[in-house]
Amino acid sequence: MRILHVDTVMANYSTSQFKNGLKLMLDGNPCSIVNNEIVKPGKGQAFNRVKLKDLITGKVLEKTFKSGESLEGADVMETDMQYLYSDGENCHFMDPASYDQYAIDAKAISDAVQYLVEQDTCLVTLWNGNPISVTPPNHVILEVVDTDPGLKGDTAGTGGKPATMNTGVVVQVPLFINIGDKLKIDTRTNDYVSRA
Amino acid sequence: MVDYLAERAKYLHLIRNYFADQNVLEVFTDSLLSYPVSDPFIDSASVILNKNISKEQKFFLHTSPEIEMKKLLKDGSGDIYQICKVFRDNEFGERNFNEFLMLEYYRVNFDMNELMDDLEDLLKSIGFSKKITRYSYQEIFSKYTDIDIYHSNLEEIQKLCEANGLSFEKMDLADLQIMLFVHLIEGHLKDIPACYIYDFPKSQSALAKIDGNVAKRFELYLGGIEVANGYDELQNMKDYEIRFHDELSKRKSLDLTVNNFDQDFVSQGKDLMQCSGVAIGLDRLFEVLNLDK
Repeated sequence: MRILHVDTVMANYSTSQFKNGLKLMLDGNPCSIVNNEIVKPGKGQAFNRVKLKDLITGKVLEKTFKSGESLEGADVMETDMQYLYSDGENCHFMDPASYDQYAIDAKAISDAVQYLVEQDTCLVTLWNGNPISVTPPNHVILEVVDTDPGLKGDTAGTGGKPATMNTGVVVQVPLFINIGDKLKIDTRTNDYVSRA
Repeated sequence: MVDYLAERAKYLHLIRNYFADQNVLEVFTDSLLSYPVSDPFIDSASVILNKNISKEQKFFLHTSPEIEMKKLLKDGSGDIYQICKVFRDNEFGERNFNEFLMLEYYRVNFDMNELMDDLEDLLKSIGFSKKITRYSYQEIFSKYTDIDIYHSNLEEIQKLCEANGLSFEKMDLADLQIMLFVHLIEGHLKDIPACYIYDFPKSQSALAKIDGNVAKRFELYLGGIEVANGYDELQNMKDYEIRFHDELSKRKSLDLTVNNFDQDFVSQGKDLMQCSGVAIGLDRLFEVLNLDK
């Protein structure tokens, strides 16, 4: 079902072409530039002090390159895909344009898995045609499967309480929320937004 | 915009007042020179003049007034300062421009420490009241790393670069020290309101005197921005010739244009007297002064 990816030769990028979001290969992993600072001492050559996010491990690396050096570009593509289902081990996505299906190891995207709702459109990052990360939509609708009963009369409680959602994620919710409620959750902050 | 012009004019006035009080003479030297700068990492811009009167001649715009001012010192000018626009080709970066306003000044009989004191007094007189902390190049490395920067040879420095994930091909000892400084130290300087870094490793001597392991050089950083670069100036003309030749061979090894250096300066017998001099980027200094208000 999957179309085999044909490796393309990626261009090299010189430090003068560095900018935020540029995808480069570093120590065998694809990385994305998150900050690029040019430092030219009064005496001595110029350097680029760069922060890069390793797209596999998620770690942010700090590197300094001599200006004029070049690095190999990384064949990284971000595509909207529809989340289909999980078979326990893998999460399955479909590219709505090509109908290609992709299976991603759930363990590799454990942060995203707790917000995945079937049919939702997620941003999938492909490296050399293989999915390496998933960003769920900013807001998702999840159902409360477990929470303590609300206190009567308390509608504007400040404290809130934990609620377990149908995907397994635990969110701090207002006291008036009950089991079975459908809630809008912000996936970037894990915050309760409203009742859906 | 008008406020900004008035601010600059006020600072320039205060600088001139300070030097008048100190009996330092304001001078102007040529900005059109026959020779480009020999520094491996600074490029002179050039212009061709007098083409239509059949007297075509190529000039290089000064990248700093250093050599011309040192000629005046050799001729017995005494303490001098100059405020001028300088020009550099192939500049890039957030705070690097093809032309900028420079203050350069020389104090006869001063050593590096006396010049650092003097520059601190000058800054006070224009309204900069922060204390300037002093760190030797060695101390600033010990503050943030466990590197003994003076006593590291090329091989040890290469290992340090490797351990920090930095590639070091085709770079000499000075290049690697500067890269480690940029990678490990410079970011921290943003947290220090004002500091001098002094006593550079002798591999980075530029045109400063060498004393044992160190070059008698200092830089001033204000909130992490490099603002000034000063030397206890080399005196002997033979030493200047050697340094210029070293710089030109480095330019050659980097495939950069190589021109001759100013023969008049080194060949006119007299050596330079004991003096210390500093170049200050005024655009950067004024930017910091305005941020502080």
